[in-house]
Amino acid sequence: MELSVVAFWVLSAIAVISAIGVVFFKNIVYSVLSLISTLIAISGLFFNLGAELIGALQILIYAVAIVVFYVLVISTVPQYKGEAVDPKYALLSAPFGFILFLELAYVSVYGLWASNTGIFSPDIFKEISNAKAVATLLFTKYLFPFEVASLILLVAMIGAILLGKKDIVEDEKEGGA
Amino acid sequence: MVPYEYYVALSGLLMVLGLIGVIVRKNIIAMLISTELMLNAVNIAFVAFDMKLHDVVGQVFVFFILTIAAAEAAIGLGLIMAIYRMKKDVDVEKLTELKG
Repeated sequence: MELSVVAFWVLSAIAVISAIGVVFFKNIVYSVLSLISTLIAISGLFFNLGAELIGALQILIYAVAIVVFYVLVISTVPQYKGEAVDPKYALLSAPFGFILFLELAYVSVYGLWASNTGIFSPDIFKEISNAKAVATLLFTKYLFPFEVASLILLVAMIGAILLGKKDIVEDEKEGGA
Repeated sequence: MVPYEYYVALSGLLMVLGLIGVIVRKNIIAMLISTELMLNAVNIAFVAFDMKLHDVVGQVFVFFILTIAAAEAAIGLGLIMAIYRMKKDVDVEKLTELKG
């Protein structure tokens, strides 16, 4: 058995089990810890597929930055007392989820044959690295979306500061009362 | 090498788990976390198709998805903080002002 096959099965098992934990843990802190485990396993899958740049960015952005956001908010909001899972939806969502899974798998596997293959064959990746290939495309063909992404981050930052400010909410409460 | 169909199946499984999480959970923060799970499922599918089709465009799109996910987490959690400050609750069953 090849090493990449072993790595795939181990990492995907960790990812799926942790994802089930994310959905069904009652305590939200356990959910976030499960999410970190899932994200790191997915990052390992990216490395296994040969996408080093995306794997590293996954750990940097998701498993560190975004999870820190969640932990900060969870530490501010007191512990949630109600039941975690709505039982009437839990029973209903399982069969529909299974049907959706079959459809997603079918459509993605059979839709692929209609696509054209690109120029980046494994032989090319022996000469240039994955990071160089991705970055070259990012800074030539997709330069404008890249700049727009920076604008989105700026807008999101300003929006988060405005939403998180205390004064606005208090003003609305006084006006409403 | 693992066939790419396995990666696609894993991606579909994570997507459905995230969707079930959004439907089933009652805590609004847990719903947002399930959304992150769905975004990650899409990322796996992008990278797996890239390896199959000998291209790197999918990885560029994963880069943009990471950016959008960071923005979405910041805005979503800011909204949750604002909601919590007004209503003192994060239960979606109790946040029903817009219900007719």
